[in-house]
Amino acid sequence: MAREQPNVGDLLPLLETSDLHQLEEIRGLINEQLSTERGSMLLNGLVDYFLETNSAQAMHILSSVREPHDKHLLDKMNECMTKQTCRLPTLTLLGHVIRKQPSWIHKIARYPLLLSLLKCLKTDTDVVVLITGVLVLITLLPMIPQAGKQHLWEYFDIFGRLASWNLKNPGHVSEVYLIHLHASVYSLFHRLYGMYPCNFVSYLRSHYSMKENMETFEEVVKPMLEHVRIHPELVTGTKDHELDPTRWKKYEIHDIVIECAKVSLDPKEASCEEGYATMPENFYPQVHLRPQDCTSSPYTDLHSSYGSSSSTPFSTPRQPLPPPLSLPPFSGTQPSYRSPQTSRRQDPLWSPSSLCGMATPPSSRGMSPNLELSHSASHLPTGGKGTPASSTPATSSPPPTLSDDFPIISLPANTVHDARISSSDAGAAENVSMTLTELSVFMKKQELELQLRTEKEREEAAITEELLKITEDKQELSGLRGFDSPFYHTTETLTGCQAQDKTLSDAHRSSALGLEQSWSFQSGFTPIDHHLHRSPSAPDDELGKFGMFSPSPCSKTPAPVPYESFFDLALPRAASLFVGQKTSEAVHKADGEEEGVVSASPLEVLDRLVQQGSDTHDKVLKRLPLPSKSADWTHFGGSAPLDELHTLRSQLLLLHNQLLYERYKREQHAVRNRRLLRRIINATALEEQNNAMKDQLNLQSVDILSLRESLQVEQQRYRQLWDDRETVVTRLHSQIRQLQQGRDDYYTKNQELQSKLQECQKKMDELEAELQRANNKVCHTGHLLNQMTIKLSNSESTQQQMSFLNKQLLLLGEAHKLSMQELHHTGADNTKEAQMLRVSYEKEVETLRQNLLVQGQKLEAAQQRVSELETHLSKKEHLIVEQKKFLEDVKCQAKAELQASDSRYQAQRRITQLLQTELLQLYSRVEMEAPASTEADIRPPHDSPRGNGSTLSPGQPKASNSSKTTANSINGSQDLAPPLLVEPSLSCPHANSLAPQPPSDAPLTVGSYPSAKSFLGMRARELFRNKSESQCDEEQPPPRLAGLAHDLKTELCVEPPCPGYIAPVCPVPCLIPTPPPVPAPALAPAAPLTVPTKEPPSEPKQRASSQESPRRKAAVGPGGGRGHAVSGRPRQQQLKIMDYNETHHEHS
Amino acid sequence: MADDPQRNFRSAYYEKVGFRGVEEKKSLEILLKDNPLDLEKLSTFSQRFPLPSMYRIHVWKVLLGILPPHSDSHTLVGGYRKEQYQDILEALEVMRYINSSTPPTHVYLRMFQLESQVLPRCSETSAPDEENEDFLSISRAMEEIVDDPIDCYWLIKCFVNQFHTKFGDSVPHLPKSLEHYLSQEEPRLLNHLKNSGSLAQLPYGLWFRRCFAGCLPESSLQRVWDKVISGSCKILVFVALEILLSYKIILMGINRPEGIIKFLCNIPQENTDAIVTKAIDLWHKYCGTPMHAV
Repeated sequence: MAREQPNVGDLLPLLETSDLHQLEEIRGLINEQLSTERGSMLLNGLVDYFLETNSAQAMHILSSVREPHDKHLLDKMNECMTKQTCRLPTLTLLGHVIRKQPSWIHKIARYPLLLSLLKCLKTDTDVVVLITGVLVLITLLPMIPQAGKQHLWEYFDIFGRLASWNLKNPGHVSEVYLIHLHASVYSLFHRLYGMYPCNFVSYLRSHYSMKENMETFEEVVKPMLEHVRIHPELVTGTKDHELDPTRWKKYEIHDIVIECAKVSLDPKEASCEEGYATMPENFYPQVHLRPQDCTSSPYTDLHSSYGSSSSTPFSTPRQPLPPPLSLPPFSGTQPSYRSPQTSRRQDPLWSPSSLCGMATPPSSRGMSPNLELSHSASHLPTGGKGTPASSTPATSSPPPTLSDDFPIISLPANTVHDARISSSDAGAAENVSMTLTELSVFMKKQELELQLRTEKEREEAAITEELLKITEDKQELSGLRGFDSPFYHTTETLTGCQAQDKTLSDAHRSSALGLEQSWSFQSGFTPIDHHLHRSPSAPDDELGKFGMFSPSPCSKTPAPVPYESFFDLALPRAASLFVGQKTSEAVHKADGEEEGVVSASPLEVLDRLVQQGSDTHDKVLKRLPLPSKSADWTHFGGSAPLDELHTLRSQLLLLHNQLLYERYKREQHAVRNRRLLRRIINATALEEQNNAMKDQLNLQSVDILSLRESLQVEQQRYRQLWDDRETVVTRLHSQIRQLQQGRDDYYTKNQELQSKLQECQKKMDELEAELQRANNKVCHTGHLLNQMTIKLSNSESTQQQMSFLNKQLLLLGEAHKLSMQELHHTGADNTKEAQMLRVSYEKEVETLRQNLLVQGQKLEAAQQRVSELETHLSKKEHLIVEQKKFLEDVKCQAKAELQASDSRYQAQRRITQLLQTELLQLYSRVEMEAPASTEADIRPPHDSPRGNGSTLSPGQPKASNSSKTTANSINGSQDLAPPLLVEPSLSCPHANSLAPQPPSDAPLTVGSYPSAKSFLGMRARELFRNKSESQCDEEQPPPRLAGLAHDLKTELCVEPPCPGYIAPVCPVPCLIPTPPPVPAPALAPAAPLTVPTKEPPSEPKQRASSQESPRRKAAVGPGGGRGHAVSGRPRQQQLKIMDYNETHHEHS
Repeated sequence: MADDPQRNFRSAYYEKVGFRGVEEKKSLEILLKDNPLDLEKLSTFSQRFPLPSMYRIHVWKVLLGILPPHSDSHTLVGGYRKEQYQDILEALEVMRYINSSTPPTHVYLRMFQLESQVLPRCSETSAPDEENEDFLSISRAMEEIVDDPIDCYWLIKCFVNQFHTKFGDSVPHLPKSLEHYLSQEEPRLLNHLKNSGSLAQLPYGLWFRRCFAGCLPESSLQRVWDKVISGSCKILVFVALEILLSYKIILMGINRPEGIIKFLCNIPQENTDAIVTKAIDLWHKYCGTPMHAV
């Protein structure tokens, strides 16, 4: 790229090369560059280049610039607009670009270019620039309708300025410019009025209500207003609504253009859209008819419409205009129409011809002139003319210039149409639908028919001869070669076709000739024009105009002609009649040039101007020798006046601009037409569908009829079947009745039979009962019989036995006798005895053996039992071991607990000892302090030493001894103690357990219980109370105790306290362990009394200890052997173990 | 115990590598789970390892027979103990030996005297003699260690009783053995002591009769007592030895026997833990580590 970049700039001049191939390459290169690069350099270069050289290629490239470059392009153009010199070419370029309608064109409203354009239009004084600018603006307006909101008043200002320009002419420009300017202002007026009617009218109202503007209004604006109808928006719309962007959204560009054209009354400005058409009726239906006809084959219909239209005087050459437009879509069906398209594609230089646009309407572009030429060529031989040029179509010969190319092509088109018309006249309209070859064949056939018109042909021949001469002359004059022959043919056919209308054909011919040699001929302008004006006076008129407007000789440029034609083409059908009328009016008004301009539309005036210009040009040229045209100027008027030349040039430019504008308009129309055509096609398709539906409907109605018939048939059959059924039903009913009767009969019979049956059954029952009785009897007898037989057999058997026994008896008697005899005979014979003995022994042995067997079995059983028992034994031993272990364990535990309680007990004992010593001390003190009775006097001295001694001797472990002694010693003083006891009890209120006891005990145990206060006594009592409380409160102690004495081993409970207790109390009677009944009752009441004083020790452990301790006390009491203390416990343990064993055994 | 699956098999090796007391708590817990408690094992354990403080009181109570080995009867026996305590206390209060203002150590002393039947009459109460002073100092130490007064009293009582019954014979020989070990460990110090004439005057009473109560702070003391309670009075000798060794330099610097005794009676309380640890090591060294009676 970088390598090429500098080259691209250099390449620009090469765009002008004549080598097509190279040109293509360069263009491709530039386009590629543009597509790859985003920078603005190349584009700027292109614009500059265009401004310099006005190169068409550069313009082409610029106008087709794509999206990213639009900004650069518009910026560049805006930049150029500021410069006075390049303003015009810039505007031209802008016009080109806009007419190209690139996709980004709507963005232009946002760029400063629009502003500068408007500014330029408001300030610039150069008419050419103004006109160009106005045309650009007019073209631009439909593209950016929504931008009107911002710039609307600027548009109006521009309009006001330019409108007044016409009248005031501030720049003092030539009249010619003014005409152009007027025309463009007129267009602007239409556009503004069409797009923003309310705003525009209000602007007009405000602007021209001022006095200084009144004149302008009268002169300029009012005539314009005459050419517009009232805009519907003026009734329904408002100013704001007009400017609403949404309003424009549904419109395409061409819609807006057509909208604008609709409100125009000027045939040159207006369109032929329905409702607004100002054209005659015979145009109108054609437009509408065609879609209807084209259902079957549009092509033929088109041509038939041709025919019809051609028969009408107005339309002849112009008529084909719409059909070719509509043709391309249908071309698929028709090869003859496909070729035009291809040929059109082949010819890139086609646009120039349309540029000139003289003869053919722009829409005829779709029609290939080449094809038409060949048509005509093929047709020509049929005509039997045998012209030499028939074999050479015009296009085959390369046209020397672009402009020259045009007439060749356009003319044959006309001729072909005419030829077709002729063929249709001949009554073979269908043949148009044939292909080219078919057509030619058909033509040959028609030669015969054509011979009928030989006379006409002769006339034609004469005319052609004349024409030939003329053309030859012209050829020499113009230097144009190779055109004569086609023209010749065309004219020939033309004339041949339009033989009916001689005058018209004459005019036609002349116009055709004028076309053929457009530059050399001074005659008619375009064939269209001729047709339009249709009056032979038109040339005169033009001549007059020419004389008026352009006295100076026209330049040789072909531009005026296409420009003029363009105005017409832009408003084709619509205008035709109106223009004709107008022109005729104009003719009547004779030569009043200014008046004509005022009354006629500015466009018309412009038309005339151009026409006149071309006429004068032709005239002048006629007088001048063609080859030296440049020299003409000098030759003609000395040195050519510069400003004149300038004027002409700019005029040319203006015309070109105008032309472009009109062409743009035409394209908009083309777009619209295409859309309309699509609608037509849709409509036809719908029509087709409709027809098909109708057919279907018919078919279905036929179906329905047939179905109805079959329905009737079916109904009849059904009825018949119904009747049949009825009869069958009745028959069956009768049968049923009969059968029912039969059944009833049977019923009665049956009942009779049943009653009989019952009787029979009764009889049967009776008989059976009898039978039963008989059977019974039989059984009974049988039984008796059996008994009898048994008895009989018994008796028999007894008899037999009897006999048998008798026999035995006899035999035994005999045997006895015999044995007796033997005995007597033999004496002691031991053998028999021995035998008998042996036998008996054997038997005995046998029995013994059996006994042995039984014994052995028993032994086995016993052994098994033994083993079983052994296992049991081992188990038990094991158990016992476990038990022992457990016992050991429990023993240990108990021992530990016992130790604990023992220590507690020891502690208690110590405490008590201490308390006792304390008590004694206190007593001694009391006694010492308070002397008592003599008895007491004697004793205390005796007691206290002993008491003191006892307490003071710590080495004495046996409390029982000391306590006994103390108890004994205290015994005597017991009586006196109670009253005095209040003191210690008060002094130690905490000793609940001990303090209250003495008073309660004292009255009961006076004398008899010296040890009541001793520790042991208290303890024993306490324990006893526990027992009695827990076990035998209500029981009488004596029998119980006696009983307990007997079975002491089994029950270790209450009785031990008694001996232990009694031992010190009454040693004499109770030396034996058996409990004496005497003290027990005394004790028993004592126990309950103490109950409330001491809280019940409920724990079993305590009970265990209490169970034991009394025992020990008991043992201690008499013997003091401590070893017995343990004995109670092991026994208890034993008992426990036995229990355990039992339970264990049960378990196992 | 060795095949106890709950125990970490590595525990046997921890000691060998020098980690002591890693598994002790756990093994003690296992021991305490036994029913009935194995007193031998417990005492062996307590001789070998320092007791965890949370189980110390319990183990002591078991070892001293305050609680029976059967854990089932613990509550019952505990109840007995409590009742006994309360009974004695009440009796003392009734007899006005004590009142609410009497310091607990004196209460314990009175109770102990009562139980051992040596309680003097109220009127005859005299200043505490040597033996009583020993008891008081032990009870002071014990009071610091134990919170519950019942437990405290029982522990003191049982400790003193056990000490007297078990080691009553060997205590008089302890100074001899101290001398013997000191001669093995540090003859110079022994010589110095001998020379200064303080050897015979060393605070043997404080050391061996009071078992260092009032000499060592309680935290160290209880570790010594662990051993004493579990059946070794030799540890006292080694503690004394270690004290002598630890303060060798200072002792060497003091020539007068009064000074030495004064110092030894009031040894600094700082690094007694280290002294005890060393003493236990020494004890293990000379008497061998008691093995588990597995």
